[in-house]
Amino acid sequence: MRSRSEFSAQTLSVLSALCEEPSQWRHGYALAGQTGLKSGTLYPILIRLADRGLVEACWQEEPAPGRPRRHLYRLTAAGLASASGALASASEALGSAARPAARAGARAARTGRNVVTPVVP
Amino acid sequence: MSGLRPGGGAIWLRRVAAAAGRGALRLVPAGRRDWAEAIWAEAYEVPSGFRRLAWRAGGVRVIAREALMARKIGRWLLFAVAAALAIRANWPGPPGRFATAIARMDVVTTVLLLAGLPLLARCFLGPAIYSRLARFLRAGGYAAILALMVAKASVLRGVPAETGPALQFDWFAQIVFLVVMAGYVAAILALTAPRSRVAPATLAVGTGAGIALGVVMYAVAPLGLTNDATEPWLPGAAIDPVVVLAWILLLGGPVVAGAVAVLRYRGPGSPQQVTNVRIWQGGAAGFLATGIGGLLVTVLGTGTVALMPRAAWLRNLLYPGQQLLPAVAYSHEFAASERVGGYGLILLAFPVIGLVMGLFGVAIGNSATSSGSSPGGEGPPGPEPVPDPPDRGLAADAEVGTDEPRGDLPRWNEEGPDNEHGEVTAGVAGCVDVAT
Repeated sequence: MRSRSEFSAQTLSVLSALCEEPSQWRHGYALAGQTGLKSGTLYPILIRLADRGLVEACWQEEPAPGRPRRHLYRLTAAGLASASGALASASEALGSAARPAARAGARAARTGRNVVTPVVP
Repeated sequence: MSGLRPGGGAIWLRRVAAAAGRGALRLVPAGRRDWAEAIWAEAYEVPSGFRRLAWRAGGVRVIAREALMARKIGRWLLFAVAAALAIRANWPGPPGRFATAIARMDVVTTVLLLAGLPLLARCFLGPAIYSRLARFLRAGGYAAILALMVAKASVLRGVPAETGPALQFDWFAQIVFLVVMAGYVAAILALTAPRSRVAPATLAVGTGAGIALGVVMYAVAPLGLTNDATEPWLPGAAIDPVVVLAWILLLGGPVVAGAVAVLRYRGPGSPQQVTNVRIWQGGAAGFLATGIGGLLVTVLGTGTVALMPRAAWLRNLLYPGQQLLPAVAYSHEFAASERVGGYGLILLAFPVIGLVMGLFGVAIGNSATSSGSSPGGEGPPGPEPVPDPPDRGLAADAEVGTDEPRGDLPRWNEEGPDNEHGEVTAGVAGCVDVAT
């Protein structure tokens, strides 16, 4: 199991967002909206996770008319296991304060503060 | 004011940003281009206006990091500064003088060559091999050639210009010199490019032999070529050991380099393919051994001659124990500046000698390997195969003209060493931690 310290708060928030519906492909803008991360922060995290085999990516097969194809992301099996472990560790670390912390984390993600938002699937 | 519409500025800005982003995508390494394209495509989902602009700004940040633009910009800035200094050094002089015209032509042509040929080389041969030695060779070669132009201009200023046919010959010689320099730049770029398939061991042995040859040749002829058996700063024996060593390195160095390159090569392929690659490795090692040696002695020698009139310590070093009267010193300086042209012969002849002798080395290396084993089989232990990983060639190919998605780049490529991307992304994440 990966230790919590292996992921930054922002990476955990991305993993958390991807864990919500692990089988679904997600696109970058949705992830950005969910995590509150900007594109310049979100994509380096996705790239690093993909490099480590935790996230898989593909191109949308049928783009909307007049729009370019979108890049889609979801956790791999290894990524799901790793994310679950990391988020569980984060949740344990936060203990009973996890739920309020989750709300605070969501706010923090929007405002840019460094607080973990654990969402254990 | 019919030409202006409300929001026209913002629309124009977005168009410029979009165009810049599309252009910047070309800078991203092939293995990362999907990601850059993804950010750009995703921008169409972001509500237009400031939010979309912010999204694209973030994309540009990612693209810049992935393209390792900081490093590229740094390299280009360094080159620009060096080129500007060289131009500044060569430009002054009375207009209409032969030396002034040559100095200007040399430096402008050289800067254009050094700036333009890498772009061509990148198109046809791919970016530089990812290795410190390859970078050293490119940077060293560039620095040497720029320095040579400055030193040559300085020497030429001290030589009275010829007239009539002699002047025409001088112009011809200068143009030949520039063509030779272009050849050197092209050779440096080609031998350090992935598609030339020069193995790291070949580069290493060729460079080592070349530096040794250059240093010894400089000890033999620091003030241009002369017919004298020995120079005044040498001990004065009829056959000086340093001269003998120079001959050994000139003729034997490429042979040894070629043989070692062959022996060190252990790559895949049929025996015929392996034999062909070994011939190429040996020839390249020999060529490098004498080419680098020739360039090194030319730069050092021309620089020495250029510095002689300005540096008393250098004159004392070259003529130890002699108190040179000004007239004698000038005589030496003049004689040296007349003999500097001999380095041109070295620049021309050495690579040819190296190539031929390197092929002799190939024969020796092949006979050594065939006596012990079949080609490509159990040769002497050599750690590295030729840099021919599965997809770098494809990625390099792809960089020329297509935008197809490609796999990750192997470690030895300039743009895509895994560790570099690891550092980049880790660095980004680190910045993220701090920033958010």
